[in-house]
Amino acid sequence: MKAKHTKYLPLLPVSCAYFILFLIGKNVAGMWQLMAMLAFYCALGQAFNIFIGMTGYVDFGYVAFLGVGTYGMALSVSRLAGFPNLGLGVVVIGLILSFVMAGALSVAVGAVALRLRGAYFAIATVGVNEGFRYLIEGARIWGGAEGIIFSGQLTETLGRDTASSLSTFWADVMVMIVAVIAAVITVGYMRGRVGYALTALREDEDAAKVMGINVTKYKIIAFITSASLAGLLGACAWALKVMYVFPPEAFQIQYTIEAIIIVVLGGAGTLLGPVVGGLIYGLSKYWLAVVMPGFQLLIFAPIVIFIVVAFPEGVVGWVKRRAKGTAIQSYLL
Amino acid sequence: MALLQLENVTKRFGGLVAVNDVSLEVEDGESIAIVGSNGSGKTALFNVISGVYLADEGRVVFKGKDITTLPPHTRAPLGIGRTFQIPRPFSSASVRENVAVGAMFGTLSGAISVDESLEVADRYIHLVGLTPHTDKEAGSLTPVEKKLMEIARSLAMRPKLLLMDEALAGMHPRDIDEMVAFLKRIKAEEGIAIIAMVEHIMRAVVGFAERVMVMHQGQKLVDAPTAEALRDPRVVEIYLGRPAEDETHARG
Repeated sequence: MKAKHTKYLPLLPVSCAYFILFLIGKNVAGMWQLMAMLAFYCALGQAFNIFIGMTGYVDFGYVAFLGVGTYGMALSVSRLAGFPNLGLGVVVIGLILSFVMAGALSVAVGAVALRLRGAYFAIATVGVNEGFRYLIEGARIWGGAEGIIFSGQLTETLGRDTASSLSTFWADVMVMIVAVIAAVITVGYMRGRVGYALTALREDEDAAKVMGINVTKYKIIAFITSASLAGLLGACAWALKVMYVFPPEAFQIQYTIEAIIIVVLGGAGTLLGPVVGGLIYGLSKYWLAVVMPGFQLLIFAPIVIFIVVAFPEGVVGWVKRRAKGTAIQSYLL
Repeated sequence: MALLQLENVTKRFGGLVAVNDVSLEVEDGESIAIVGSNGSGKTALFNVISGVYLADEGRVVFKGKDITTLPPHTRAPLGIGRTFQIPRPFSSASVRENVAVGAMFGTLSGAISVDESLEVADRYIHLVGLTPHTDKEAGSLTPVEKKLMEIARSLAMRPKLLLMDEALAGMHPRDIDEMVAFLKRIKAEEGIAIIAMVEHIMRAVVGFAERVMVMHQGQKLVDAPTAEALRDPRVVEIYLGRPAEDETHARG
Protein backbone atom coordinates (compact mmCIF):
# COMPACT_ATOMS: atom_id res chain seq x y z
CA MET A 1 0.00 0.00 0.00
CA LYS A 2 2.89 2.30 0.73
CA ALA A 3 3.84 2.23 -2.94
CA LYS A 4 0.38 3.51 -3.89
CA HIS A 5 0.70 6.60 -1.74
CA THR A 6 4.17 7.56 -2.83
CA LYS A 7 3.67 6.69 -6.47
CA TYR A 8 2.84 10.22 -7.58
CA LEU A 9 5.12 12.13 -5.17
CA PRO A 10 7.74 12.76 -7.87
CA LEU A 11 5.16 14.91 -9.65
CA LEU A 12 5.53 17.47 -6.89
CA PRO A 13 8.91 18.94 -7.89
CA VAL A 14 7.89 18.93 -11.57
CA SER A 15 4.61 20.77 -10.97
CA CYS A 16 6.39 23.17 -8.63
CA ALA A 17 8.92 24.01 -11.33
CA TYR A 18 6.16 25.06 -13.75
CA PHE A 19 4.26 26.90 -11.05
CA ILE A 20 7.35 28.90 -10.14
CA LEU A 21 7.96 29.73 -13.80
CA PHE A 22 4.34 30.88 -13.99
CA LEU A 23 4.58 33.01 -10.84
CA ILE A 24 7.81 34.71 -11.89
CA GLY A 25 6.45 35.40 -15.33
CA LYS A 26 3.20 36.78 -14.02
CA ASN A 27 4.63 38.95 -11.27
CA VAL A 28 7.98 40.19 -12.50
CA ALA A 29 7.63 42.71 -15.27
CA GLY A 30 9.19 41.71 -18.57
CA MET A 31 9.87 38.12 -17.53
CA TRP A 32 6.87 36.39 -19.14
CA GLN A 33 8.50 35.72 -22.49
CA LEU A 34 11.61 34.22 -20.90
CA MET A 35 9.56 32.04 -18.53
CA ALA A 36 7.38 30.93 -21.44
CA MET A 37 10.46 29.97 -23.42
CA LEU A 38 11.84 27.99 -20.48
CA ALA A 39 8.50 26.24 -20.00
CA PHE A 40 8.45 25.37 -23.70
CA TYR A 41 11.91 23.82 -23.57
CA CYS A 42 11.02 21.84 -20.43
CA ALA A 43 7.76 20.66 -21.96
CA LEU A 44 9.47 19.73 -25.23
CA GLY A 45 12.02 17.70 -23.29
CA GLN A 46 9.30 15.98 -21.29
CA ALA A 47 7.27 14.98 -24.32
CA PHE A 48 10.36 13.79 -26.17
CA ASN A 49 11.67 11.93 -23.14
CA ILE A 50 8.66 9.59 -23.13
CA PHE A 51 10.04 8.14 -26.34
CA ILE A 52 13.79 8.81 -26.48
CA GLY A 53 14.40 8.45 -22.75
CA MET A 54 12.26 5.43 -22.09
CA THR A 55 13.05 3.41 -25.21
CA GLY A 56 16.60 4.55 -25.92
CA TYR A 57 15.66 5.15 -29.55
CA VAL A 58 16.60 8.47 -31.14
CA ASP A 59 14.02 10.05 -33.42
CA PHE A 60 15.54 12.73 -35.64
CA GLY A 61 12.18 13.46 -37.20
CA TYR A 62 10.55 14.46 -33.94
CA VAL A 63 9.92 18.07 -34.85
CA ALA A 64 7.61 16.88 -37.64
CA PHE A 65 5.05 16.07 -34.94
CA LEU A 66 5.23 19.62 -33.59
CA GLY A 67 4.94 20.87 -37.15
CA VAL A 68 1.89 18.77 -37.87
CA GLY A 69 0.36 19.89 -34.58
CA THR A 70 0.93 23.50 -35.61
CA TYR A 71 -0.96 22.80 -38.81
CA GLY A 72 -3.78 21.16 -36.87
CA MET A 73 -4.44 24.38 -34.99
CA ALA A 74 -3.92 26.58 -38.05
CA LEU A 75 -6.34 24.52 -40.13
CA SER A 76 -8.99 24.54 -37.44
CA VAL A 77 -8.86 28.31 -36.92
CA SER A 78 -8.60 29.23 -40.59
CA ARG A 79 -11.17 26.78 -41.99
CA LEU A 80 -13.76 27.08 -39.23
CA ALA A 81 -13.62 30.87 -38.97
CA GLY A 82 -16.81 31.28 -41.03
CA PHE A 83 -18.99 29.14 -38.75
CA PRO A 84 -21.08 31.13 -36.30
CA ASN A 85 -21.17 30.53 -32.52
CA LEU A 86 -18.02 28.42 -32.42
CA GLY A 87 -16.02 30.98 -30.46
CA LEU A 88 -13.29 29.29 -28.43
CA GLY A 89 -14.51 26.02 -29.89
CA VAL A 90 -12.12 26.57 -32.82
CA VAL A 91 -9.22 26.41 -30.38
CA VAL A 92 -10.56 23.28 -28.72
CA ILE A 93 -11.12 21.63 -32.10
CA GLY A 94 -7.64 22.81 -33.08
CA LEU A 95 -6.11 21.11 -30.04
CA ILE A 96 -7.97 17.88 -30.76
CA LEU A 97 -6.96 18.05 -34.42
CA SER A 98 -3.30 18.67 -33.53
CA PHE A 99 -3.33 15.76 -31.10
CA VAL A 100 -4.97 13.41 -33.59
CA MET A 101 -2.90 14.49 -36.61
CA ALA A 102 0.40 14.13 -34.77
CA GLY A 103 -0.76 10.80 -33.39
CA ALA A 104 -1.79 9.57 -36.83
CA LEU A 105 1.54 10.58 -38.37
CA SER A 106 3.35 8.76 -35.58
CA VAL A 107 1.35 5.59 -36.23
CA ALA A 108 2.27 5.76 -39.90
CA VAL A 109 5.96 6.44 -39.22
CA GLY A 110 6.20 4.12 -36.24
CA ALA A 111 4.55 1.13 -37.87
CA VAL A 112 7.32 1.11 -40.45
CA ALA A 113 10.36 2.62 -38.74
CA LEU A 114 9.98 1.04 -35.30
CA ARG A 115 10.62 -2.38 -36.78
CA LEU A 116 14.16 -1.15 -37.33
CA ARG A 117 16.66 -1.12 -34.54
CA GLY A 118 18.72 1.60 -32.93
CA ALA A 119 20.78 3.49 -35.48
CA TYR A 120 18.70 2.23 -38.40
CA PHE A 121 15.63 3.71 -36.82
CA ALA A 122 17.39 7.03 -36.28
CA ILE A 123 18.44 7.15 -39.94
CA ALA A 124 14.97 6.23 -41.14
CA THR A 125 13.45 9.12 -39.19
CA VAL A 126 15.83 11.79 -40.49
CA GLY A 127 13.85 11.96 -43.71
CA VAL A 128 10.39 12.22 -42.14
CA ASN A 129 10.80 15.84 -41.31
CA GLU A 130 12.05 17.09 -44.64
CA GLY A 131 9.76 14.71 -46.49
CA PHE A 132 6.69 16.13 -44.82
CA ARG A 133 7.79 19.70 -45.33
CA TYR A 134 8.37 19.18 -49.05
CA LEU A 135 5.13 17.26 -49.36
CA ILE A 136 3.25 20.29 -48.04
CA GLU A 137 5.22 22.73 -50.17
CA GLY A 138 5.36 20.63 -53.32
CA ALA A 139 1.82 19.31 -53.31
CA ARG A 140 0.55 22.77 -52.31
CA ILE A 141 -1.63 21.36 -49.56
CA TRP A 142 -2.50 23.44 -46.51
CA GLY A 143 -1.35 26.64 -48.13
CA GLY A 144 1.80 25.10 -49.63
CA ALA A 145 5.02 27.07 -49.27
CA GLU A 146 3.18 30.21 -48.21
CA GLY A 147 1.85 28.53 -45.08
CA ILE A 148 -1.28 29.67 -43.30
CA ILE A 149 -1.66 33.05 -41.68
CA PHE A 150 -4.68 32.97 -39.42
CA SER A 151 -4.33 35.97 -37.13
CA GLY A 152 -7.17 37.65 -39.05
CA GLN A 153 -9.57 34.73 -38.63
CA LEU A 154 -8.68 34.29 -34.96
CA THR A 155 -9.37 37.97 -34.24
CA GLU A 156 -12.58 37.77 -36.26
CA THR A 157 -13.82 34.71 -34.37
CA LEU A 158 -12.81 35.64 -30.86
CA GLY A 159 -12.50 39.39 -30.85
CA ARG A 160 -9.28 41.37 -30.58
CA ASP A 161 -8.83 41.14 -26.80
CA THR A 162 -9.40 37.40 -26.46
CA ALA A 163 -7.24 36.63 -29.49
CA SER A 164 -4.45 38.75 -28.13
CA SER A 165 -4.55 37.31 -24.60
CA LEU A 166 -4.74 33.85 -26.13
CA SER A 167 -1.56 34.41 -28.07
CA THR A 168 0.42 36.35 -25.46
CA PHE A 169 -0.68 34.55 -22.28
CA TRP A 170 -2.92 31.50 -22.57
CA ALA A 171 -0.85 29.80 -25.26
CA ASP A 172 2.06 29.70 -22.81
CA VAL A 173 -0.12 28.59 -19.91
CA MET A 174 -1.41 25.76 -22.09
CA VAL A 175 2.18 24.71 -22.76
CA MET A 176 2.67 24.40 -19.01
CA ILE A 177 -0.52 22.38 -18.69
CA VAL A 178 0.58 20.03 -21.47
CA ALA A 179 3.91 19.67 -19.66
CA VAL A 180 2.20 18.64 -16.43
CA ILE A 181 0.00 16.18 -18.36
CA ALA A 182 3.17 14.76 -19.91
CA ALA A 183 4.64 14.38 -16.43
CA VAL A 184 1.56 12.54 -15.14
CA ILE A 185 1.68 10.17 -18.13
CA THR A 186 5.41 9.65 -17.62
CA VAL A 187 4.94 8.63 -13.99
CA GLY A 188 2.04 6.36 -14.93
CA TYR A 189 4.16 4.67 -17.57
CA MET A 190 7.29 4.43 -15.44
CA ARG A 191 5.49 2.85 -12.52
CA GLY A 192 3.35 0.56 -14.66
CA ARG A 193 3.68 -2.32 -17.10
CA VAL A 194 4.65 0.02 -19.93
CA GLY A 195 7.64 1.28 -17.98
CA TYR A 196 8.86 -2.21 -17.15
CA ALA A 197 8.51 -3.27 -20.78
CA LEU A 198 10.33 -0.16 -22.03
CA THR A 199 13.16 -0.47 -19.52
CA ALA A 200 13.62 -4.09 -20.53
CA LEU A 201 13.67 -3.38 -24.25
CA ARG A 202 15.94 -0.36 -23.80
CA GLU A 203 18.48 -2.48 -21.95
CA ASP A 204 18.28 -5.61 -24.08
CA GLU A 205 15.73 -6.01 -26.81
CA ASP A 206 16.37 -9.72 -27.46
CA ALA A 207 16.19 -10.65 -23.80
CA ALA A 208 12.98 -8.60 -23.52
CA LYS A 209 11.44 -10.57 -26.39
CA VAL A 210 12.13 -13.98 -24.89
CA MET A 211 10.70 -12.70 -21.60
CA GLY A 212 7.38 -12.34 -23.42
CA ILE A 213 7.46 -8.61 -24.18
CA ASN A 214 5.96 -7.50 -27.48
CA VAL A 215 8.65 -4.90 -28.03
CA THR A 216 7.15 -3.35 -31.16
CA LYS A 217 3.87 -2.74 -29.37
CA TYR A 218 5.48 -0.96 -26.44
CA LYS A 219 7.77 1.11 -28.65
CA ILE A 220 4.74 2.24 -30.63
CA ILE A 221 2.84 3.13 -27.44
CA ALA A 222 5.73 5.37 -26.31
CA PHE A 223 6.12 6.80 -29.80
CA ILE A 224 2.44 7.73 -30.22
CA THR A 225 2.22 9.23 -26.74
CA SER A 226 5.33 11.31 -27.25
CA ALA A 227 4.22 12.44 -30.72
CA SER A 228 0.67 13.38 -29.72
CA LEU A 229 1.98 15.53 -26.88
CA ALA A 230 4.35 17.16 -29.36
CA GLY A 231 1.34 17.91 -31.55
CA LEU A 232 -0.31 19.75 -28.66
CA LEU A 233 2.89 21.69 -27.98
CA GLY A 234 3.08 22.72 -31.61
CA ALA A 235 -0.54 23.88 -31.50
CA CYS A 236 -0.01 25.97 -28.36
CA ALA A 237 3.57 27.19 -28.42
CA TRP A 238 3.84 27.74 -32.16
CA ALA A 239 0.47 28.13 -33.85
CA LEU A 240 -1.47 30.06 -31.22
CA LYS A 241 1.50 32.14 -30.19
CA VAL A 242 2.42 33.59 -33.57
CA MET A 243 -0.90 32.97 -35.33
CA TYR A 244 0.64 31.69 -38.52
CA VAL A 245 2.40 28.58 -39.73
CA PHE A 246 5.13 28.52 -42.29
CA PRO A 247 6.65 25.17 -43.44
CA PRO A 248 10.38 25.99 -43.08
CA GLU A 249 9.77 27.14 -39.49
CA ALA A 250 7.41 24.36 -38.47
CA PHE A 251 9.77 21.63 -39.64
CA GLN A 252 13.09 23.00 -38.43
CA ILE A 253 15.33 20.10 -37.42
CA GLN A 254 17.05 22.40 -34.92
CA TYR A 255 14.25 21.75 -32.43
CA THR A 256 14.84 18.01 -32.56
CA ILE A 257 18.49 18.61 -31.75
CA GLU A 258 17.54 20.94 -28.90
CA ALA A 259 15.12 18.34 -27.53
CA ILE A 260 17.84 15.69 -27.60
CA ILE A 261 20.27 18.00 -25.78
CA ILE A 262 17.66 18.83 -23.13
CA VAL A 263 16.83 15.19 -22.46
CA VAL A 264 20.46 14.07 -22.34
CA LEU A 265 21.55 17.01 -20.18
CA GLY A 266 18.83 16.49 -17.61
CA GLY A 267 18.82 12.72 -17.59
CA ALA A 268 17.19 10.47 -20.18
CA GLY A 269 14.46 8.25 -18.86
CA THR A 270 13.99 10.22 -15.64
CA LEU A 271 10.90 12.27 -14.87
CA LEU A 272 12.59 15.41 -13.58
CA GLY A 273 15.47 15.27 -16.06
CA PRO A 274 13.83 17.07 -18.98
CA VAL A 275 12.70 19.88 -16.66
CA VAL A 276 16.20 20.39 -15.30
CA GLY A 277 17.65 20.01 -18.80
CA GLY A 278 15.13 22.47 -20.21
CA LEU A 279 15.95 25.05 -17.56
CA ILE A 280 19.72 24.67 -18.00
CA TYR A 281 19.47 24.77 -21.77
CA GLY A 282 16.94 27.59 -21.96
CA LEU A 283 18.71 29.80 -19.44
CA SER A 284 22.17 29.33 -20.90
CA LYS A 285 20.88 29.90 -24.41
CA TYR A 286 19.22 33.12 -23.28
CA TRP A 287 22.19 34.27 -21.24
CA LEU A 288 24.69 33.53 -24.03
CA ALA A 289 22.49 35.40 -26.49
CA VAL A 290 22.73 38.44 -24.22
CA VAL A 291 26.42 38.35 -23.33
CA MET A 292 27.83 36.97 -26.57
CA PRO A 293 25.27 37.35 -29.33
CA GLY A 294 26.09 35.17 -32.32
CA PHE A 295 28.43 32.91 -30.42
CA GLN A 296 25.82 30.92 -28.48
CA LEU A 297 26.34 27.62 -30.29
CA LEU A 298 30.12 27.90 -30.23
CA ILE A 299 30.09 28.38 -26.47
CA PHE A 300 27.26 25.99 -25.84
CA ALA A 301 28.84 23.02 -27.59
CA PRO A 302 31.74 22.60 -25.10
CA ILE A 303 29.36 23.09 -22.17
CA VAL A 304 27.18 20.28 -23.47
CA ILE A 305 30.21 18.08 -24.06
CA PHE A 306 31.44 18.79 -20.55
CA ILE A 307 28.13 17.89 -18.94
CA VAL A 308 27.75 14.74 -21.02
CA VAL A 309 31.25 13.61 -20.06
CA ALA A 310 30.94 14.58 -16.39
CA PHE A 311 27.35 13.30 -15.95
CA PRO A 312 26.74 10.63 -18.57
CA GLU A 313 23.41 9.77 -16.98
CA GLY A 314 22.34 13.42 -16.94
CA VAL A 315 22.14 15.79 -14.01
CA VAL A 316 19.07 14.15 -12.51
CA GLY A 317 20.41 10.64 -13.13
CA TRP A 318 23.51 11.63 -11.18
CA VAL A 319 21.56 13.19 -8.32
CA LYS A 320 19.23 10.18 -8.22
CA ARG A 321 22.15 7.85 -7.72
CA ARG A 322 23.49 10.02 -4.92
CA ALA A 323 20.08 10.35 -3.29
CA LYS A 324 19.48 6.61 -3.05
CA GLY A 325 18.35 5.73 0.43
CA THR A 326 17.81 9.34 1.53
CA ALA A 327 14.58 11.14 2.26
CA ILE A 328 14.38 12.92 -1.09
CA GLN A 329 14.52 9.64 -2.99
CA SER A 330 10.75 9.33 -3.18
CA TYR A 331 10.51 12.74 -4.85
CA LEU A 332 12.99 11.84 -7.57
CA LEU A 333 12.10 9.70 -10.52
CA MET B 1 1.94 -36.16 -25.63
CA ALA B 2 5.39 -34.75 -25.38
CA LEU B 3 5.86 -31.25 -23.98
CA LEU B 4 8.16 -30.21 -26.79
CA GLN B 5 8.55 -31.87 -30.15
CA LEU B 6 11.10 -30.85 -32.73
CA GLU B 7 10.43 -32.49 -36.08
CA ASN B 8 13.33 -32.46 -38.54
CA VAL B 9 14.26 -28.89 -37.69
CA THR B 10 16.83 -27.18 -39.88
CA LYS B 11 18.26 -23.68 -39.55
CA ARG B 12 20.64 -22.25 -42.10
CA PHE B 13 22.69 -19.08 -42.22
CA GLY B 14 23.58 -18.71 -45.88
CA GLY B 15 25.61 -21.79 -46.67
CA LEU B 16 26.14 -22.74 -43.03
CA VAL B 17 23.74 -25.29 -41.64
CA ALA B 18 23.62 -24.42 -37.95
CA VAL B 19 20.94 -26.95 -37.07
CA ASN B 20 20.68 -29.90 -39.42
CA ASP B 21 17.55 -32.03 -39.41
CA VAL B 22 17.26 -32.34 -35.65
CA SER B 23 14.33 -34.14 -34.06
CA LEU B 24 13.80 -34.20 -30.34
CA GLU B 25 11.04 -35.01 -27.90
CA VAL B 26 10.99 -33.63 -24.37
CA GLU B 27 8.54 -34.92 -21.79
CA ASP B 28 7.10 -32.95 -18.89
CA GLY B 29 9.58 -32.56 -16.07
CA GLU B 30 12.47 -34.15 -17.90
CA SER B 31 16.04 -32.94 -17.54
CA ILE B 32 18.23 -33.11 -20.57
CA ALA B 33 21.82 -32.05 -21.01
CA ILE B 34 22.91 -30.92 -24.44
CA VAL B 35 26.62 -31.26 -24.99
CA GLY B 36 28.76 -30.51 -27.98
CA SER B 37 31.74 -28.39 -28.91
CA ASN B 38 31.56 -24.70 -29.80
CA GLY B 39 29.72 -24.18 -33.05
CA SER B 40 27.95 -27.52 -32.86
CA GLY B 41 24.58 -25.77 -33.06
CA LYS B 42 23.44 -25.86 -29.44
CA THR B 43 22.69 -22.17 -29.09
CA ALA B 44 21.10 -22.07 -32.54
CA LEU B 45 18.83 -24.91 -31.46
CA PHE B 46 17.84 -22.96 -28.34
CA ASN B 47 17.13 -19.94 -30.47
CA VAL B 48 14.90 -21.98 -32.76
CA ILE B 49 12.96 -23.29 -29.74
CA SER B 50 12.59 -19.87 -28.09
CA GLY B 51 11.78 -18.12 -31.35
CA VAL B 52 14.80 -15.85 -31.66
CA TYR B 53 15.39 -17.65 -34.98
CA LEU B 54 12.65 -19.20 -37.07
CA ALA B 55 13.31 -22.69 -38.39
CA ASP B 56 13.87 -22.92 -42.15
CA GLU B 57 12.51 -26.44 -42.27
CA GLY B 58 10.69 -28.74 -39.91
CA ARG B 59 8.21 -28.09 -37.14
CA VAL B 60 8.40 -26.97 -33.54
CA VAL B 61 5.45 -28.19 -31.47
CA PHE B 62 4.94 -27.13 -27.86
CA LYS B 63 2.14 -28.56 -25.73
CA GLY B 64 0.53 -29.85 -28.92
CA LYS B 65 0.55 -26.44 -30.56
CA ASP B 66 2.55 -25.71 -33.68
CA ILE B 67 4.74 -22.73 -32.75
CA THR B 68 7.17 -22.94 -35.67
CA THR B 69 6.41 -19.44 -36.94
CA LEU B 70 5.45 -17.69 -33.70
CA PRO B 71 7.57 -14.71 -32.59
CA PRO B 72 9.45 -15.10 -29.28
CA HIS B 73 7.20 -12.85 -27.23
CA THR B 74 4.21 -15.08 -27.89
CA ARG B 75 6.15 -18.27 -27.18
CA ALA B 76 7.38 -17.17 -23.77
CA PRO B 77 3.93 -16.95 -22.14
CA LEU B 78 3.12 -20.46 -23.39
CA GLY B 79 5.78 -21.66 -20.98
CA ILE B 80 9.18 -21.41 -22.58
CA GLY B 81 11.80 -19.64 -20.48
CA ARG B 82 15.45 -19.26 -21.23
CA THR B 83 18.67 -17.95 -19.82
CA PHE B 84 21.63 -16.74 -21.83
CA GLN B 85 25.21 -17.93 -22.07
CA ILE B 86 26.44 -14.47 -21.17
CA PRO B 87 23.84 -13.12 -18.75
CA ARG B 88 21.71 -10.38 -20.23
CA PRO B 89 20.28 -8.47 -17.28
CA PHE B 90 18.29 -5.27 -17.72
CA SER B 91 21.26 -3.51 -16.18
CA SER B 92 19.81 -0.21 -15.01
CA ALA B 93 16.85 -1.88 -13.34
CA SER B 94 17.03 -3.45 -9.89
CA VAL B 95 17.18 -7.19 -9.36
CA ARG B 96 13.60 -7.02 -8.13
CA GLU B 97 12.42 -5.20 -11.25
CA ASN B 98 14.28 -7.62 -13.50
CA VAL B 99 12.60 -10.63 -11.98
CA ALA B 100 9.24 -8.83 -11.90
CA VAL B 101 9.45 -8.42 -15.69
CA GLY B 102 9.41 -12.20 -15.98
CA ALA B 103 6.33 -12.48 -13.79
CA MET B 104 4.58 -9.62 -15.56
CA PHE B 105 5.05 -10.59 -19.19
CA GLY B 106 6.14 -14.20 -19.17
CA THR B 107 2.93 -15.76 -17.93
CA LEU B 108 -0.21 -16.53 -19.88
CA SER B 109 -2.48 -14.83 -17.36
CA GLY B 110 -1.50 -11.39 -18.63
CA ALA B 111 -3.56 -9.64 -15.98
CA ILE B 112 -0.99 -9.87 -13.20
CA SER B 113 -0.43 -6.40 -11.78
CA VAL B 114 2.86 -4.64 -11.12
CA ASP B 115 2.53 -5.04 -7.34
CA GLU B 116 1.72 -8.73 -7.63
CA SER B 117 4.67 -9.20 -9.98
CA LEU B 118 6.98 -7.59 -7.46
CA GLU B 119 5.74 -9.98 -4.80
CA VAL B 120 6.27 -12.95 -7.10
CA ALA B 121 9.74 -11.56 -7.83
CA ASP B 122 10.62 -11.49 -4.12
CA ARG B 123 9.69 -15.15 -3.86
CA TYR B 124 11.97 -16.24 -6.70
CA ILE B 125 14.78 -13.96 -5.59
CA HIS B 126 14.59 -15.70 -2.24
CA LEU B 127 14.58 -19.08 -3.97
CA VAL B 128 17.89 -18.39 -5.72
CA GLY B 129 19.33 -16.78 -2.61
CA LEU B 130 19.68 -13.22 -3.88
CA THR B 131 17.46 -11.58 -1.27
CA PRO B 132 20.27 -9.35 0.08
CA HIS B 133 20.73 -7.94 -3.43
CA THR B 134 17.04 -7.30 -4.17
CA ASP B 135 17.35 -3.54 -4.60
CA LYS B 136 20.75 -3.51 -6.26
CA GLU B 137 21.12 -2.54 -9.88
CA ALA B 138 21.31 -5.76 -11.88
CA GLY B 139 24.33 -4.45 -13.76
CA SER B 140 26.35 -4.27 -10.55
CA LEU B 141 26.02 -7.98 -9.70
CA THR B 142 28.88 -10.44 -10.05
CA PRO B 143 28.70 -12.81 -13.04
CA VAL B 144 27.50 -15.71 -10.89
CA GLU B 145 24.85 -13.52 -9.24
CA LYS B 146 23.73 -12.39 -12.69
CA LYS B 147 23.26 -16.01 -13.68
CA LEU B 148 21.20 -16.67 -10.58
CA MET B 149 19.16 -13.55 -11.28
CA GLU B 150 18.49 -14.76 -14.81
CA ILE B 151 17.33 -18.08 -13.45
CA ALA B 152 15.01 -16.32 -11.00
CA ARG B 153 13.77 -14.10 -13.83
CA SER B 154 12.92 -17.04 -16.05
CA LEU B 155 11.41 -19.05 -13.19
CA ALA B 156 9.12 -16.11 -12.45
CA MET B 157 7.68 -16.71 -15.91
CA ARG B 158 6.37 -20.03 -14.55
CA PRO B 159 7.77 -21.95 -17.52
CA LYS B 160 6.99 -25.55 -18.37
CA LEU B 161 10.29 -25.74 -20.20
CA LEU B 162 13.44 -23.93 -19.17
CA LEU B 163 16.30 -23.59 -21.63
CA MET B 164 19.56 -22.90 -19.87
CA ASP B 165 22.42 -21.76 -22.04
CA GLU B 166 25.72 -22.63 -20.34
CA ALA B 167 24.31 -22.04 -16.91
CA LEU B 168 27.38 -23.47 -15.24
CA ALA B 169 30.22 -22.08 -17.33
CA GLY B 170 32.81 -20.22 -15.32
CA MET B 171 31.52 -21.42 -11.98
CA HIS B 172 33.54 -22.77 -9.10
CA PRO B 173 33.12 -26.58 -8.72
CA ARG B 174 31.51 -26.08 -5.32
CA ASP B 175 29.01 -23.67 -6.83
CA ILE B 176 28.33 -26.14 -9.63
CA ASP B 177 27.36 -28.84 -7.15
CA GLU B 178 25.12 -26.37 -5.38
CA MET B 179 23.57 -25.26 -8.63
CA VAL B 180 22.92 -28.84 -9.74
CA ALA B 181 21.23 -29.60 -6.43
CA PHE B 182 19.23 -26.40 -6.78
CA LEU B 183 18.12 -27.19 -10.32
CA LYS B 184 17.00 -30.65 -9.30
CA ARG B 185 15.02 -29.20 -6.46
CA ILE B 186 13.19 -26.53 -8.46
CA LYS B 187 12.58 -28.99 -11.24
CA ALA B 188 10.72 -31.20 -8.79
CA GLU B 189 8.99 -28.31 -7.02
CA GLU B 190 7.91 -26.36 -10.08
CA GLY B 191 7.36 -29.39 -12.28
CA ILE B 192 9.32 -28.04 -15.22
CA ALA B 193 11.41 -29.67 -17.87
CA ILE B 194 14.93 -28.32 -18.20
CA ILE B 195 17.19 -28.50 -21.19
CA ALA B 196 20.60 -27.31 -20.16
CA MET B 197 23.65 -26.84 -22.27
CA VAL B 198 26.56 -28.09 -20.33
CA GLU B 199 29.98 -27.85 -21.79
CA HIS B 200 32.94 -29.83 -20.49
CA ILE B 201 31.53 -30.23 -17.01
CA MET B 202 30.95 -33.94 -16.74
CA ARG B 203 30.17 -33.95 -13.06
CA ALA B 204 27.27 -31.60 -13.76
CA VAL B 205 26.02 -33.72 -16.62
CA VAL B 206 26.11 -36.85 -14.48
CA GLY B 207 24.57 -35.09 -11.51
CA PHE B 208 21.84 -33.28 -13.35
CA ALA B 209 20.68 -34.95 -16.52
CA GLU B 210 18.47 -37.93 -17.03
CA ARG B 211 19.20 -37.83 -20.71
CA VAL B 212 22.07 -36.54 -22.78
CA MET B 213 21.89 -35.23 -26.29
CA VAL B 214 25.13 -34.77 -28.14
CA MET B 215 25.30 -32.30 -31.00
CA HIS B 216 28.02 -32.28 -33.60
CA GLN B 217 28.19 -29.98 -36.62
CA GLY B 218 24.53 -29.12 -36.35
CA GLN B 219 23.34 -32.69 -36.12
CA LYS B 220 22.06 -34.78 -33.29
CA LEU B 221 24.71 -37.42 -32.81
CA VAL B 222 23.52 -39.21 -29.70
CA ASP B 223 20.33 -39.02 -27.67
CA ALA B 224 20.29 -41.52 -24.84
CA PRO B 225 20.02 -41.92 -21.06
CA THR B 226 23.00 -40.32 -19.36
CA ALA B 227 24.98 -43.41 -18.38
CA GLU B 228 24.58 -44.96 -21.79
CA ALA B 229 25.43 -41.75 -23.65
CA LEU B 230 28.64 -41.22 -21.72
CA ARG B 231 29.84 -44.69 -22.65
CA ASP B 232 29.17 -44.10 -26.33
CA PRO B 233 32.52 -44.15 -28.16
CA ARG B 234 31.43 -41.24 -30.40
CA VAL B 235 30.82 -39.10 -27.34
CA VAL B 236 34.15 -40.06 -25.89
CA GLU B 237 35.79 -39.16 -29.14
CA ILE B 238 34.18 -35.74 -29.41
CA TYR B 239 34.72 -34.93 -25.79
CA LEU B 240 38.05 -36.42 -24.95
CA GLY B 241 39.58 -36.83 -28.36
CA ARG B 242 40.43 -40.13 -29.99
CA PRO B 243 41.90 -42.80 -27.71
CA ALA B 244 45.69 -42.68 -27.62
CA GLU B 245 46.31 -45.96 -29.46
CA ASP B 246 44.18 -44.77 -32.37
CA GLU B 247 46.26 -41.65 -32.53
CA THR B 248 49.53 -43.60 -32.84
CA HIS B 249 47.86 -45.95 -35.23
CA ALA B 250 46.85 -43.13 -37.44
CA ARG B 251 50.32 -41.68 -37.45
CA GLY B 252 52.07 -45.02 -37.86
